[in-house]
Amino acid sequence: MRLLHFLRAIAGVAAISLLLTGASLAADSAQRIVSLNLCTDELLLRLADPAKVASVTWLSLSPSGSNVADLAVKVPINHGLAEQIIAAEPDLVLAGTFTTRIAVGMLKRTTIPVIEFSVPRSFEDVRQQIRDVAKLVQAEDRGTQLIDEIDRRIAAVAAKPRSMRPTAVVLNPNGATVGQGTLANQIMTAAGLDNIAARLRIDNYGQIPLEVVALHEVDVLIVSATRDGPPSKATEALSHPILSKLTRTRIVSMPGRLWNCGGPAIAEAVERLDAVASDVAREKSGQ
Amino acid sequence: MRIEAENISVRLGQVDALRGVDFAADAGEIVGLIGPNGSGKTTLLRALASLRAADGGHVHYAGRSAAEVGASELSRQIAYLAQGGEVHWPMRVEALVALGRLPHRRRFQRSAAADREAIERALLAADIVALRDRTMNQISGGERMRALIARALAVEAPMLLADEPVAALDPLHQLQVMELLRKKAVSGGGVVVVLHDLALAARFCDRLVLLNSGKVLAAGEPASVLTDANVAKAFGVDVVRGAHDGATYVLPWSPTKRQ
Amino acid sequence: MRERISYGALVAYLSLLVIVLAAGSLSVGYAPLDIREAVVDAVQGRSTLGALVLVELRIPRMLLGALVGFSLGIAGAAMQGLLRNPLAEPGITGVSGMAALGAVIVFYFGLAGGAPLVLPLGGIAGAALATFMLYGIAGQGAGTMTLILAGVAINSFAGALTSLALNLAPNPFAVTEIVYWLLGSLADRSLQYVWLVSPLMGIGWIMLVMTGPALDSLTLGEDTAASMGFNLGRLRMQLIAGTALCVGSAVAVTGSVAFVGLVVPHLLRPWVKQQPGKLLLVSGLGGAALTLLADVAVRSLPIRPELKLGVVLAIIGAPFLFGLIWRLRSEA
Repeated sequence: MRLLHFLRAIAGVAAISLLLTGASLAADSAQRIVSLNLCTDELLLRLADPAKVASVTWLSLSPSGSNVADLAVKVPINHGLAEQIIAAEPDLVLAGTFTTRIAVGMLKRTTIPVIEFSVPRSFEDVRQQIRDVAKLVQAEDRGTQLIDEIDRRIAAVAAKPRSMRPTAVVLNPNGATVGQGTLANQIMTAAGLDNIAARLRIDNYGQIPLEVVALHEVDVLIVSATRDGPPSKATEALSHPILSKLTRTRIVSMPGRLWNCGGPAIAEAVERLDAVASDVAREKSGQ
Repeated sequence: MRIEAENISVRLGQVDALRGVDFAADAGEIVGLIGPNGSGKTTLLRALASLRAADGGHVHYAGRSAAEVGASELSRQIAYLAQGGEVHWPMRVEALVALGRLPHRRRFQRSAAADREAIERALLAADIVALRDRTMNQISGGERMRALIARALAVEAPMLLADEPVAALDPLHQLQVMELLRKKAVSGGGVVVVLHDLALAARFCDRLVLLNSGKVLAAGEPASVLTDANVAKAFGVDVVRGAHDGATYVLPWSPTKRQ
Repeated sequence: MRERISYGALVAYLSLLVIVLAAGSLSVGYAPLDIREAVVDAVQGRSTLGALVLVELRIPRMLLGALVGFSLGIAGAAMQGLLRNPLAEPGITGVSGMAALGAVIVFYFGLAGGAPLVLPLGGIAGAALATFMLYGIAGQGAGTMTLILAGVAINSFAGALTSLALNLAPNPFAVTEIVYWLLGSLADRSLQYVWLVSPLMGIGWIMLVMTGPALDSLTLGEDTAASMGFNLGRLRMQLIAGTALCVGSAVAVTGSVAFVGLVVPHLLRPWVKQQPGKLLLVSGLGGAALTLLADVAVRSLPIRPELKLGVVLAIIGAPFLFGLIWRLRSEA
């Protein structure tokens, strides 16, 4: 886990340095931009003039999975295939560090600049990514506005007086949770929750056994929003009967789109969790 | 018990393995089934044991058909000793012989005193009492065959059908096994045995049935069946004959000269 | 082997072993739990956290470990008896692979309205199909090589179709999920699974145990067995159906867990003096013991995330297989 942490940090630094060199190349010329990643889709759509958006991924079209579905319908769509991307004749491509490696590899062999962004792991990462994309699309003002709005909303929540911090844990499909060094962890902390996965020194997206969840009797159990989707083995763990029997645990669902990517949605995530935290704190002190 | 087969035909794939075969065997006698390779001996034996239904004709057991007798009753009336003597798991000899009591054991019944006694008798008759605790892969070929025969004897069925029980044995064990079969017949059982060895067939069997290409070429006492003409026609060999201790013996000597 | 122990004593000892390991399984977990207190609370109906974890998490895990292990052990012994080959076990012969395919298809395509029972039924259907195929290709006392080739063919077939099914599955995350599931695990299963599969497994067990005398007679070949009054066609059907019920349900619960049905009958065969009929119940108990032991190991080893059960059993099973091949080589 530590090794992974370290490697991710290196990747992040590499990505940003790649970005800076790429930025100097593309600064004046980016007019047709393609995005290959859900998170970069969002930043591109929010910050760039629509005319500059050559295409975004099909994932952004889904209202349950994307924060910018209404914006995405207005632009061309790609499925991450190298042929489609090249056919769009972009002069800049934004991708995630875990996006289709083969397509990205292919693109790098062309003259098209490819800038990769890793998954944001903190508020500072989010701010930096917004700044970077804003610079690339020559919309620095919009970028600053976005950052200010996010900061303002989060600060408002962080400033609230708190009598206590309810304990919380995130339970994702396959028993995964969010631990130290993740954006979601920082969101939970900002919202006034005490993430027990962080306390137990679970890194990144490690696993948490149901036993541990049950025996800690957390105040708030956060699960992924269950879409009315096709059956999934992974969500079965979330329907284990023991969860409904933990009478003192409140179960709330959070759609992944609110905290998987860096954007204004993270402020909404903080606000939502704060509402829950305050509610729980009120209940407990009222007892 | 009398086994009677009337006008039996069996078709295996494209080939008529048996055509219009009549056969009978009674208690107290050893009937030898002889013939060249592919003449249908094993097929007939299997039909007699109702392991394979005849395509034409009937097999009767003391006047009743196989269906009338029923599988479990038939398993107590007929003991079958298969060709080749395959034993898949190296069990202990005694446990193997004990398998012969399965037709008598009802579901979930543990072995009764009657079973244990039958097993003892079988071990004694086959002269393998000393081997009872050895495993099947620790004994010689001859001992193995005796163990398998003991298994068949343990069924204590009126009829024993044996398919080439002496095929791979040395002379001593061949004689021992044939003596064993004779003992069974003498004690009131009936035996039908498929044999390749004409000398043994002539010596030990009360009656012979000679098959050739799926049909009965000759049937009756050994002397009347093993004529020069029959033997030449079925096997393509000439024999020499002799006598010893009041019994005649027959030895294949040379291939029949073509006319 | 000079095992002087009687069959009854062997069954008793193995049962005791299973009980001890079951108790061990209950006391091992990821968080400290006072078992005695939890048991007392549970019995008195107080739903304290400890009682809740005991009843909802640890007991199902222990029960499923025992049930799955028993089913795989007895099915392995039955298949070896039917095919008269010590290498025949549900994993090698592709029965588990096809059971997994059945479960995948039924689950991901939401068949039969998604009622909970469909998962084990899908597994059973897959397992039955595989056993038919196996008997069709390699049956009738075929040699080891034929059997292994048949198993390879069926496994490849199952693997290919599973990949296809996952490719076409409506859930885009199906692939990642099923990879974990196929590695085999007992983690976080609920009592619902226990109620679901135990009747099906129970029927399977009974069907298989009742073939004991017939399997013994098959030692002497099919003709001899038939002459002793056993209906071979019905025997085969009973063995196929029993194996399908056992393996299909087990795979539906835990995913693909191999080697239990191979290792256990081998270890125990000398103790029942090579008799295939007696091996059935004894292999079931041995399988339950082995699976419980592996599951205890999975939770005790300080490796996170939790090692998959299938992986631990494969780590035990593969060297065992090598040893077997080595011994066969030196005997040849």
